[in-house]
Amino acid sequence: MSLSRKWRILVQSLTLLGFCWLFLQTEYRGTDELAYPVSLLFRLDPLALVSAFFASGKTDFILLWPAFLLLVLTIIFGRFFCGWLCPLGSLLDFLGAPLRRSQSRFSGWPKFKYYLLSALTLASLCGLQLFGLFDPLSIFLRSLTLAINPVWNLLANTTFDWLYQAKLPLISSTADVVYPFFRDHLLAFRQPVFLLTILTAFVFLAVILLERLQPRFWCRNLCPLGALLGLCSQPSRLQRTPQSDCSDCKQCSLQCYMGASAADSSHAAECIRCLDCLDFCPNQRVKFHFSKRGEKRFDLSRRTLLAASVGGVMLAPLAAAAPLSASYRNDLIRPPGATGESEFLRRCIRCGECMKVCIGGALHPDLLRGGAFSLWSPVVVARLGYCEYDCTLCGQVCPTGAIKSLEIKQKRQIKIGLAVIDKNRCLPFARGQECLVCEEHCPTGKKAITFDRHKDLVESEARDLLQPRVLKELCIGCGICETRCPVAGRSAIMIISEGESRAPQGLL
Amino acid sequence: MLDRRQFIFQSLRSACLAAVAGSIPQLILPRAVYAAQDRVLVVRTGEDIPQLVRQTVAALGGMERFVKPGETVVVKPNIGWDRGVDLAANTHPLVVKTVVSLCLEAGAKKVQLFDRTCNDPRRCYVSSGIQQAISDLNSIQAELVYMDRRAYKELEISQGKAINRWSFYLPALEADRLINLPIAKHHSISTLTLGMKNLMGVIGGNRGMLHSKIAEALADINTVIHSDLTLIDATRILVANGPQGGRLEDVEVRNTLIASPQVVTADAFASTLFGYQPDQIETIVAGYRRGLGEIDLSRVQRL
Repeated sequence: MSLSRKWRILVQSLTLLGFCWLFLQTEYRGTDELAYPVSLLFRLDPLALVSAFFASGKTDFILLWPAFLLLVLTIIFGRFFCGWLCPLGSLLDFLGAPLRRSQSRFSGWPKFKYYLLSALTLASLCGLQLFGLFDPLSIFLRSLTLAINPVWNLLANTTFDWLYQAKLPLISSTADVVYPFFRDHLLAFRQPVFLLTILTAFVFLAVILLERLQPRFWCRNLCPLGALLGLCSQPSRLQRTPQSDCSDCKQCSLQCYMGASAADSSHAAECIRCLDCLDFCPNQRVKFHFSKRGEKRFDLSRRTLLAASVGGVMLAPLAAAAPLSASYRNDLIRPPGATGESEFLRRCIRCGECMKVCIGGALHPDLLRGGAFSLWSPVVVARLGYCEYDCTLCGQVCPTGAIKSLEIKQKRQIKIGLAVIDKNRCLPFARGQECLVCEEHCPTGKKAITFDRHKDLVESEARDLLQPRVLKELCIGCGICETRCPVAGRSAIMIISEGESRAPQGLL
Repeated sequence: MLDRRQFIFQSLRSACLAAVAGSIPQLILPRAVYAAQDRVLVVRTGEDIPQLVRQTVAALGGMERFVKPGETVVVKPNIGWDRGVDLAANTHPLVVKTVVSLCLEAGAKKVQLFDRTCNDPRRCYVSSGIQQAISDLNSIQAELVYMDRRAYKELEISQGKAINRWSFYLPALEADRLINLPIAKHHSISTLTLGMKNLMGVIGGNRGMLHSKIAEALADINTVIHSDLTLIDATRILVANGPQGGRLEDVEVRNTLIASPQVVTADAFASTLFGYQPDQIETIVAGYRRGLGEIDLSRVQRL
């Protein structure tokens, strides 16, 4: 193995581990403010920058300056990010290696990603932001948050629990000794549980399994971030010579796993600067050096590009023509600090950082509540978890300002919804039983859930019952009442979106 | 040499044996029993909390009466809510710290603290000030820990009226001594939350289900969990919007500590701080009927 290749694998491993470490730090660790810039990956992400730039409202460029830096570096050095830093690319290299076949005749559609990028960009410009679905960094972190981490925790915890209970000689005592290290550093504080785990895992596996068709299939054919960086690498002066296959040797065409070498220099944008060609060139002819760029440029089909762009433009009205979800349903609850729904959807790049950090387990990926194109954006599912009264972590990690970073005092004032009681199922109303668990947990100082003393005849016995009542002016919709309601299954008190701070209409 | 098949069979066989062995209950549980000489009560007031704690415990005969050298102790404060010290939702950190010091001074081998919190445990432990107070002790024998999900066990409640079985946290039952350190607070469904209710923090299960028959359920739980000493923190009490509060207007400073070996006796006196008679509080009445202490304060020896 050549030196450059060793270096690349080292850098890839370190960045991958670094991002995994930041992922593990995306959790409450005893202070209200997170100690590390845990969402660095997305602050580096040019697609996040584009989404935030096209969205209405003020774009916080201070948050996204690393993405600018990456673009500038790409203009100078080319698409090195894909070859050396991208965590999904590294995973494909590591996990895909055993799947790859030595001889693959599949030539792929390397131009497709440019058409996809142009469609996504035009859609985004017209108001429909779909970058999040295809952003490789989002796919990476979303899969980690929603699928890989929960499964890892489940496996590890089940194993440790089993060993703890089975009391096997030697093995169990060893496991109990190492358990605190796992618990404190590698496992989540509480077993993560999310909706859409299977769908997310399926997408991730599909991206991995495509390696079977072609090495780095995703990066070569589909990745819109790769396309964007490829475009930006056009002015790069870091050139490879020879610019195409030499007449006496076809090794570049045969071996370059990005298909960056062609008869002419038209594939230069595919080069991810992995430097493997330094190694496999039998005559050591390959050199990277700064010089004038080659003549031949992209040869994208103008017609297809136009069609893709028009398709992107058309997608936006297609999405907008559907009825607004707020007009017929009230279970779309967004995290505190979320911007108005249309700006929110344009900013959110579906990275899953907020869901990872949510201390109460309230945030889950959406499937259809916010419409067909709200897939994977965060919604509060209060039956599964609640918004902790004094926690502001989701706003701290959001890389695009879709969820604003709030001070605790501001956060306590923000209504994300309103609790309503289902009297057909609430115990004091429906069955004449005492309860008031919702009132006990209500966190708003002067409680937003109060109670009325009510004399009631229960099974021909006069009883003095306390019946809960929501004070709508005080309720902030945190959802702890819905989470803690002891009634089985669907809660007897539920959060609806009425009166949420970000919507123009107030409470009825 | 084992071949692979033999190896697998042998491993499975030993795993099965281990599983069977592990499922045999090996635990003999304490039962809450209070003797007549425990019918004593100490009430002290004072502004210096550490000194107040020391005076109160000394009046009962010192911590040596409850904790013998080499014993393991569980101290169970109320750390239920993500609230700061001034909001009176959790036991005062100085009360907790001083009690732990007294246990260590009495020769306890290990003092463990925990609570099954209502808000996120990490936030509660930090906001309550108790995490800092315990780490300030700088003792490896005293530790504030998160509840271990693996250590709950479902047990029969032989004297149960509202519940016959429930999941309990074994470390609380297995310790040699349990010291109950509640804070006195308003609570809508049980009127007040005091010593008996504080022990809800060492049970598992869906605790909200207990609310429909809270008084008897709390008495049931207290028949299983024996606390050797109940020390009620009434240095400041929460008189409305309990049990988690959140407004300084609802906090009253009383500078008072109440202690008794009997949980019901301590609770009975604490109820008077809120202007109630002990027999007005259903939980206390239920506890008295189970023999968990004295409800008639005139029959209690004041030390």
